[in-house]
Amino acid sequence: MNWNKDKSIVLSQVCVAVFAVCLLALDIGCRRFAYWFAGTRAWDFKYADQLSAVILGGSVFAWVCLWKLWRLLVNIRRGKVFVAENVRHMRVISYCCLLAAVLCGVSCMFYLPFGFIAIAAGFMALIVRIVKNAFQQAIAMKDELDLTI
Amino acid sequence: MEILVNLDVMMAKRKISGGELAEKIGITPANLSILKTGKAKAIRFSTLMALCHELECQPGDILEFRE
Repeated sequence: MNWNKDKSIVLSQVCVAVFAVCLLALDIGCRRFAYWFAGTRAWDFKYADQLSAVILGGSVFAWVCLWKLWRLLVNIRRGKVFVAENVRHMRVISYCCLLAAVLCGVSCMFYLPFGFIAIAAGFMALIVRIVKNAFQQAIAMKDELDLTI
Repeated sequence: MEILVNLDVMMAKRKISGGELAEKIGITPANLSILKTGKAKAIRFSTLMALCHELECQPGDILEFRE
């Protein structure tokens, strides 16, 4: 198969869509999953409600991230890579990861493994933020190059 | 403190239009307009050389430093 840049972007979009479907399934089955999970751990069911609240709260940030990723990929596909709009998208993604990290950080008080997710989300926020800074610098360089005659 | 581009003055002296000059030096009229209006952030030596060649002048005739 002849692999190229456009197909790579389409693959990324398909991955975003697959994540969106999985997230939708998680949102729909959140309560059932939380009660099943609480049952396997012999928890009090009040923890199941807390777990489903964390999942639903986290999914809000995940939806925003997926939407912004989709917009980012649409822009890249149109050839609009180093534009201010993409920097805004990445800033929102970074903040969403950070807020998800805070949510998971707080939630690790009732279920410790959430701490690992908090660390991963915080690290992801940092990576996206650094890429965003690189994009900002690239936009400034592109502007200068465009105005070099 | 700024660098002024006196390209329009030199073009008027040589009686050459923007479109004609742009075509002769191989840049687009839009880019020549950016240069003329002082919106450009930098000028390539190759562009400056082509301008000086076509307008039969020195770089100092096109660019001027002002405090």
